[in-house]
Amino acid sequence: MSHLLLVAGREVRAQVRTRAFVIGLVISVLVVGGIAFAPRFLGGPDSYTLGRVQVQELPLKALAPPDAEITWRAYDDEAAARAAMLDGELDAVLVPGNRVLTDGEIDDELGLLLQSANREAQIGASGVTITPLTMESVGADTRYQGARRGIATVVVLVLFLMIFSSVMMVAMGVVEEKGSRIVEILLSSIRPWQLLGGKILGLGAVGLINMVAIVAAGLTGALLSGVIADFPPGTTGIVLGVVAWFILGYAFFAAFAGALASLVSRQEEVGNVLQPMTLLVMLSYGVAFYDSVQPGSTVARVLSLVPPFSSMVMPVRTAAAEVPLWEVALSAGLMLAAVAGVLAVGAKVYERAVLRTGARVRLAEVLRGNKP
Amino acid sequence: MISDMLDIRELRKTFGAGKVALDGVSFAVRPGEMFGFVGANGAGKTTTMRIVMGVLGADSGEVTWQGRSLGFAERRGFGYMPEERGLYQKMKVGEQVDYFGRLHGLSPAAAAKAVDELLVRLGLTERRGDAVEALSLGNQQRVQLAVALVHDPEVLVLDEPFSGLDPLAVDALAEVLQERARGGVPVIFSSHQLELVERLCDSIGIISAGRMVASGTVDELRAAEGERLRVVVREAKPGWADGLPGELTVAGDREILVVRGGDDQAILRAALEAGRVEHFGAERPSITEIFKEAVS
Repeated sequence: MSHLLLVAGREVRAQVRTRAFVIGLVISVLVVGGIAFAPRFLGGPDSYTLGRVQVQELPLKALAPPDAEITWRAYDDEAAARAAMLDGELDAVLVPGNRVLTDGEIDDELGLLLQSANREAQIGASGVTITPLTMESVGADTRYQGARRGIATVVVLVLFLMIFSSVMMVAMGVVEEKGSRIVEILLSSIRPWQLLGGKILGLGAVGLINMVAIVAAGLTGALLSGVIADFPPGTTGIVLGVVAWFILGYAFFAAFAGALASLVSRQEEVGNVLQPMTLLVMLSYGVAFYDSVQPGSTVARVLSLVPPFSSMVMPVRTAAAEVPLWEVALSAGLMLAAVAGVLAVGAKVYERAVLRTGARVRLAEVLRGNKP
Repeated sequence: MISDMLDIRELRKTFGAGKVALDGVSFAVRPGEMFGFVGANGAGKTTTMRIVMGVLGADSGEVTWQGRSLGFAERRGFGYMPEERGLYQKMKVGEQVDYFGRLHGLSPAAAAKAVDELLVRLGLTERRGDAVEALSLGNQQRVQLAVALVHDPEVLVLDEPFSGLDPLAVDALAEVLQERARGGVPVIFSSHQLELVERLCDSIGIISAGRMVASGTVDELRAAEGERLRVVVREAKPGWADGLPGELTVAGDREILVVRGGDDQAILRAALEAGRVEHFGAERPSITEIFKEAVS
């Protein structure tokens, strides 16, 4: 066990100290934090400054969203108001004769607001009172559908990038040790499973550091921009779930990649030998992405239970919509079993192949158990 | 009596396509002995050492150390330098040596102490904080040796430890190895530098095409080869050596006769009659000659 941790510790130190790691971390934190904070710039609370020339203010406040700011300025003549508007000080000017002057086409929302307010004011003046409609949903709670889809889209991207990049590190590390024959010295002091396991553990910890930093950046951005108010209840659970699924997915693909990488001795061959693993990751990503755009398909529902697809599809499903707890539990159980299986087989393949340097070792030969 | 030696017995190994790499290789190395393992490229040195280290499995045969056959636990106490050098290129020298010490089971304090001592011993103190890739080849090789030595191994197996080193580095490495041998460690190393092997080794094994063609102490090998008589005659009459045993070579106006056995007095008389005798004496064969003889 202590050897496993020694190997893992070396992997963490070797990665964390590189410039690539630090730059990558800073960039992903800024990007994810920025995306979460962006709505503040894009949407933000509305604020309008309006001019009026010898007419009454319209009752806009009552009709506008609660956080909208509306300022009226009175002008004595149209020319002054017009000049102020063309200087950009005013969004629109209300002038006698039920006319609104704007600089170019009017903002859609402001236009609707002015029209409604005008209608209300004229109807009110004629003495008729209007009872507004009350909206009530009797179907599923879809209030958070938009937010959920947004979260799911981010989840699928983050999971894919994090799992794939961490797994590639494992594969490249295995080939580095095999190609430089350092593995011959290592394996005269520790067992193969300790070396592979330590590498998976250490690089997984590095991936987790990235993951946690990204999640924290996203949540901080959302908190600062106020977007967090729009998050559905249970977002914390979704986020924790994503981290857990990252660990499961990473463990599966890392063991798979480590075993495949042990078959070759040169970095140039890594891409080729990893193809089966890459294909699986891509498929998982594809289905998960489809589900984030178009939630509720049967394919996604089935594959969210089948390992290793479930590692990416299930967290996206849970983010995009409500998923029965038993399905999540079943999916996690199956994935855990698959992880245990691929770790066992992967360690065996690694043990048999990693000392056979030179030409690419055939997987079938290794699985049959031919000794070097 | 339980053997206290590193005993290599009847190793056989055939690679795919029927290429016989080892065909019954046997030899033994005593504690404190420097064993030079020589042979042409592809003769089986590396294969033998890889089998000793458990990196490669033998088809048959056995390696024992102090009477026990080698398993993982026994080999953990060995120090190994593979033929193709393996180090983490981006890792710092001090940390790298320390890491291997820890992997071999040293406590953090013991590893730190061993690293300090070794780096001083190998003249690497100033490079301690440098990444391995920034070092010269010779210095990388010193680090490789430090990695093999850090856990104070019971047995040392070194594949071509001196290749590519300048004479000063060779001396530094040789001194460290001799020191370990004096401490009772059996040291096996392979080399193509036969003069070096002759200078450093107590015993030598010569392997050719997967078979041991000679092995023993340097004196034993020389004795087996036999002493030779070497006669150098200047301005000799042509044909003087006809009828005498041995090999005659001509170098300028000198004729050199090398004879194994035969009547030395008769040869001396013939030489004196032929011309001016510059040299007449018994000669011990060099390892290079023994090697050439053995593998031819």
